[in-house]
Amino acid sequence: MPESQAGVLDATARRELAREISRLARASAQSVLRAAPIAPVPPARRIGFTGPPGVGKSTLVGKLVERRAAQGVSVGVLAIDPASPYSKGAILGDRIRMDQASGDPRVFMRSVSSRDSQDGMCNNVADILCAMEAHHFNEIVLETVGVGQAEHAVKALVDTVVLLMQPETGDAIQALKAGILEVADIIVVSKSDLHGAPKMREVLASTVRFGAQRAVGWTVPVLGVSVETGKGLDELEAALTAHAAWVAANRTGAETQARRACYRVQDLVLRRLDDQLAALSPADYERPVAELYQRVLEGLQQT
Amino acid sequence: MSLAGKRILIAKPGLDGHDVGAKIIALALRDAGAEVIYTGLRKSPQYIARVAVEEDVDAVGLSILSGSHVDLVRDTVRHLREAQGGNIKIFVGGTIPQEDVEPLMSSGAAGVFNASQRIEDVVAEVDRLLDDA
Amino acid sequence: MNKPHTELAEPNQPSLKTPSGIEAPEVATADMVHPEGIGAPGEYPFTRGIFDNGYRGRLWTFRQYSGFGSAEETNERYKFLINQGQTGLSVALDLPTQCGYDPTDPMASSEVGKVGVPIATLADAEILFDGLDLAKLSTSFTINGTAAIIYAMYLAVADKRGIPRAKLTGTIQNDILKEYVARGTWIFPVRPSMRLIADSVMYSNEQTPRFNPISIAGAHVRDAGCTAVEEMAYTLANAFAYVDELVRRGGDPNAFAKRLSFFFYVHMDFFEEICKFRAARRYWAKQLKARYGVTDDKALMFRFGVVCGGSSLTAEQPYNNIVRVGIENMAAVFGGAQSIFTCAFDEAFQIPTETSAEIALRTQQIVAYESGISRTVDPLGGSYYVEWLTDRMEEEMEKVMAEIDEYGGTVQAIEDGYLQMRIARRALERKLDTDKGDRVVVGVNHFRHEEERNELGEVFRMNPEAVKTVVERYHHVKATRDNAAVERTLAALAAASATDDVNLMPLLVDCCHAYATVGEMVDTLKREWGEFEEPVRL
Repeated sequence: MPESQAGVLDATARRELAREISRLARASAQSVLRAAPIAPVPPARRIGFTGPPGVGKSTLVGKLVERRAAQGVSVGVLAIDPASPYSKGAILGDRIRMDQASGDPRVFMRSVSSRDSQDGMCNNVADILCAMEAHHFNEIVLETVGVGQAEHAVKALVDTVVLLMQPETGDAIQALKAGILEVADIIVVSKSDLHGAPKMREVLASTVRFGAQRAVGWTVPVLGVSVETGKGLDELEAALTAHAAWVAANRTGAETQARRACYRVQDLVLRRLDDQLAALSPADYERPVAELYQRVLEGLQQT
Repeated sequence: MSLAGKRILIAKPGLDGHDVGAKIIALALRDAGAEVIYTGLRKSPQYIARVAVEEDVDAVGLSILSGSHVDLVRDTVRHLREAQGGNIKIFVGGTIPQEDVEPLMSSGAAGVFNASQRIEDVVAEVDRLLDDA
Repeated sequence: MNKPHTELAEPNQPSLKTPSGIEAPEVATADMVHPEGIGAPGEYPFTRGIFDNGYRGRLWTFRQYSGFGSAEETNERYKFLINQGQTGLSVALDLPTQCGYDPTDPMASSEVGKVGVPIATLADAEILFDGLDLAKLSTSFTINGTAAIIYAMYLAVADKRGIPRAKLTGTIQNDILKEYVARGTWIFPVRPSMRLIADSVMYSNEQTPRFNPISIAGAHVRDAGCTAVEEMAYTLANAFAYVDELVRRGGDPNAFAKRLSFFFYVHMDFFEEICKFRAARRYWAKQLKARYGVTDDKALMFRFGVVCGGSSLTAEQPYNNIVRVGIENMAAVFGGAQSIFTCAFDEAFQIPTETSAEIALRTQQIVAYESGISRTVDPLGGSYYVEWLTDRMEEEMEKVMAEIDEYGGTVQAIEDGYLQMRIARRALERKLDTDKGDRVVVGVNHFRHEEERNELGEVFRMNPEAVKTVVERYHHVKATRDNAAVERTLAALAAASATDDVNLMPLLVDCCHAYATVGEMVDTLKREWGEFEEPVRL
């Protein structure tokens, strides 16, 4: 890799990575299947940020990245913005809210649209993260709107999931219903200077006390952060460090790799499946279901 | 959708604070299927070039209504070249007098737009510019 | 590159709705009017005007906006305009000055002197006003982010010339809320900016009682694409936010409201423009009385200046703009404006030449002295249509203001980017309507020329040497000033800005006298307050 230090990309490397990400984001399932296997690279520390729209993820990520870069850590950020269901176009607004550290050579930021994906991720997101890892960033951040199954997808793809919620909204209840609290390794109540913040933290803390994480020995911290005042950012960094240590002690590289490989295969299969189903006509759908099933399976087997 | 799959950066270089034109174009390009990043106000040509390359955009649209378009376009072109983004197309919109169009095109702009053009014509022209790759 | 679009069907009648969406009656009749609501000019609620003798008592000020290049060149243009009959000065400042950057700052590069005059230190201000009697000339500055600083500069110039502050008249626009949503020369976050405005208003009320320290502007949201109704509603919402801040700081609305003024555009829909002013005048007076308990008539008066032109002018067939500005000038007079700026016909695409600037001034003089419309106060008062439309405009304005209140108020809406988003979407709508030809713009979407002709007489070209002069003077001032005094005054400013209750104005004046630069003063405040982070929301 033509860079002077790990994760500090020169102009050429930056351009190359940017192009590679575009190529991967557009690549069809077929082309990915036909491509050469990705050479293994030492994995970077991966952190995912998710939460409802408007909760302040981008601003928080921006502040964190700024701090990390100032500490000499190189960070690659992938922000996934939702696409318009009508035009399939998108306003990729997240990065503008998070790129105050843009001049720093240790920082690389990229937006992709979720286009037509099922789970709020972009196509080939696992490959994209690997492509970023190949440039040896110390840390990789994935930032995405929590819609549909996004939270669960993020869990498979990163080491630490940070879930953001906002006080004085129905976020906590929604999260409970959707079961996403189980996914979070760290919960952040953003805009913590708002009136309803302490109460929300209480509610969330009592819920996660009995969650699945407890079973594996990790106590999910529920933190209040105000990006405006900077309050809580130190605690968040400390929690991230603590979880990194926990991961190192409790998850093997093999487990992590397996989860990601599983996600990747699942993503490819589901996209290929969508293609097959989309190719069927209304007349086809009048056939018996067993027949349709066979047809689809046969279609899937052709690469 | 004519601009499906295209990535476009709409930027406000310099100190000009009139952003409505830029926002209108960003929305129109999105509605035509493009992935659009709008930078907000007060961005330096260097920042714009850096974002353009990181985001691997097909084109950068500069919106300038302060009269500084010749200098700002020239600076943006230079920074793009330095960032290895020399093949990213640049188009400019705003208050551009007719006699400045040719100098802008010679310094590297692929297209110059003005406020009275219809949106559908601007979108069609951007589409044509991007297909000329 | 600029292809003409295919010819649209010619419009065969005026549209039935006003641009704000109000459906006009075919004929207005007596039963549509509430005569008891109309009142008399000079009497609360001032629908017919704030002065009982209208323009007979005092004609509106002809205030032509101008400034460019360097202080010397601007000073020359002012002397020219005054010789031609202009009665007040309106200072345009360049973007670096407006945004708080010195001419050598990298952010200022290529912008120095382009849209107005650069003022970096007191030296520039002294040259700008050289040979002009500030005691006699009312001066208005279109300045916002750095308004308090430029006002301090103005005071410093007056101080040095021995002009009593009590004689100074004029305005600083000083309306930061609209910068965040439509004009973009913000610097600091919203709340410290409001503090600075309160400081400047209260200081001005005491030190320069004849000066208007704020001109709350609807012009820019209008230019950005809002309707006349929205223009008034957003502006009044901002105004109430300022009133609230001043009250919070201990100001007495019966006193400070006397020196709050407003600033709007006049666009082409003749009666809508007239009626929006009448409606606002009435609404403002009623609200100040009801919400803030204001009793002094002078404090209830809605005083405003206007620009005739702006985005209602076209680059195509630019001489048409002379007609447009003439019509808008008349609407402004029927609406009762206290000061009027008429745009030059080429203002749509360049700094006006001497010729076009002169025609713009002549337009006002013709309306003032040949048309006779200012002979009688509020001559359209009592017209069934005008009174009906005034009522309707007031209703629509109230609806929009209620929507903002429901969101959480104008400051919250701005911090969140909600207002900005509304304005952008409205602008897109308006553009699409114009594109379709539904909103007729002569020469643009109808009645076009087949080929573009070169319509212009002369093109104004900025003197390229001007920037050199500015930068040289800047370096000279920094090299010859008393740097200890600069440090001392800036330190005092820094300390005061960290508190909540010290008025910063006298400290800013001290900094100006010490020849601190605009950039230095702004950086001092930025260190304490931070910078506004634009919430980009589409």
